[in-house]
Amino acid sequence: MPKLSLMFDNKIVKEVPVGSRPVTIGRSPDNDIPVDNLAVSNHHAKIYYEAGRMVIEDLDSLNGTFVNDLRVERATLHDGDNIHIGKHKIKVDTSGDAPLAWDTGRKVVAPRIDETMVLDTKERRQMLQQAAAMGESMQFAGARMKVPTLIVLSGSTDQKEYVLTNKLTVIGKSAMATVKLKGWFKPQMAAQINQRDDGFYLGPGDKVPTVNGNPVSGPVRLNDGDLVEVSGVRLNFIVRE
Amino acid sequence: MRIASGGVSDVGRVRSNNEDCYKIVEPLNLYVLSDGMGGEAHGEIASAMAVETVVKHCLDFETNPAATIIGAVQPNWSPWTKRLSTAVHLANKNIFKSAEQNPDQHGMGATLTAVWINGTKLSIAHVGDSRAYLLRGGTLLQLTRDHSLVAEQVRRGILTSAEAEESDMQSVLLRALGAQAEIEVDAEEHTLFPRDALLLCSDGLTRMVTEPELAGTLQAETDPTRAAEKLIEMANERGGPDNITIVIVRLEKESKGWFSWLRRRAPKNQGTNGNAGGN
Repeated sequence: MPKLSLMFDNKIVKEVPVGSRPVTIGRSPDNDIPVDNLAVSNHHAKIYYEAGRMVIEDLDSLNGTFVNDLRVERATLHDGDNIHIGKHKIKVDTSGDAPLAWDTGRKVVAPRIDETMVLDTKERRQMLQQAAAMGESMQFAGARMKVPTLIVLSGSTDQKEYVLTNKLTVIGKSAMATVKLKGWFKPQMAAQINQRDDGFYLGPGDKVPTVNGNPVSGPVRLNDGDLVEVSGVRLNFIVRE
Repeated sequence: MRIASGGVSDVGRVRSNNEDCYKIVEPLNLYVLSDGMGGEAHGEIASAMAVETVVKHCLDFETNPAATIIGAVQPNWSPWTKRLSTAVHLANKNIFKSAEQNPDQHGMGATLTAVWINGTKLSIAHVGDSRAYLLRGGTLLQLTRDHSLVAEQVRRGILTSAEAEESDMQSVLLRALGAQAEIEVDAEEHTLFPRDALLLCSDGLTRMVTEPELAGTLQAETDPTRAAEKLIEMANERGGPDNITIVIVRLEKESKGWFSWLRRRAPKNQGTNGNAGGN
């Protein structure tokens, strides 16, 4: 994720990631980057993403906000830019993945955020296109399919590998299990894997599985390459491109 | 399998009206929950319309099993899953039409999450950001994906789930009934195991109560209605900013001995071609 580094005397004092919400800078302690200096206004400036670009906006500060020694009211920031606020310098690093931008100035998108609302078709399309465009430009893999797979390293199962396509994958002896365990005394449902928004989670069933040797008592997110052991079977979780 | 169920809907501590709606149709083992949106009383109209349409279409299954299927279905789905998915498409059409004919209802919409149990097969249909969870072996598994902007951003790797929980865009939905003439419905089938428990809930619960707490409460309190009441109390103690609606369904193993549920056909409403499938 892109970040801002607050420097003083050429030393990094603080690093703050720039995510979906604006980063505020000022003397008041409620800022994301508080700068305790009388030359800095209470709420001096804010930095946020707008249409995929990092933008700085001066909040009518007394002594001004400077980007590469030019005073600005509002400016697009680029990788390596230096922001000067009072005696402090903030270095801009936009090398990470940018978050999906929110035009915080425009209230068309969310007039009342406590009320549930649906984006109409046009807004929705724009929003998704924007998100898709970013996904692609940032991580090449955006367009490529990722195929999560369980590879059987040892133990008796009905297949040598399983592509995880369902929201629920049961590992066990049960006829309904995806990963079928063979042999006496195997549990009907030894463990289960749940596909969620941010990945695949392994949870216990009748047995407590381990991931990389650590017992799993509640849902644990699986990472590429993790070693899963349950009921005498060793499985390798791999995400193929 | 023996099925016990219970549901509770609560207005919460902040709002003056309850736009949530749910219905338990015991003879069918059908459970439907909806969270409405729209100004005035229109959220209530939308969620009630959503629930009624889905329940009616599923109830009519016996008398009119050959009704036209609407929307995309997978050929390997059971007739119940196809029916349920169609019912949700119908609900969308009804709400959309009503909003078009009554200009003051413009912008009304609803989420819908429905589960239908036939034998050991669970059919599920879903649109919006209400949720269905399955508690199995002490682990809570989410059966639905939120059709919200922040969830989509998490899926695309733009936000982390922690950032999504903090986001002030949580209420922005990408999909809901009534917003467009045609929508996409998420429908799926799962096989149920004895002692599974299902939880359907509106976002008024999931924004206030964490998943470990949901799992803990479901395990500690086995009476569905009392468990639902407890969860509502928790959400309200933390401010209760939104309506909270909960439906809990528990599958209990019949005490006839091992594997009896495998041999058994579900006792109720199998329909005329009543094969529970999967066994």
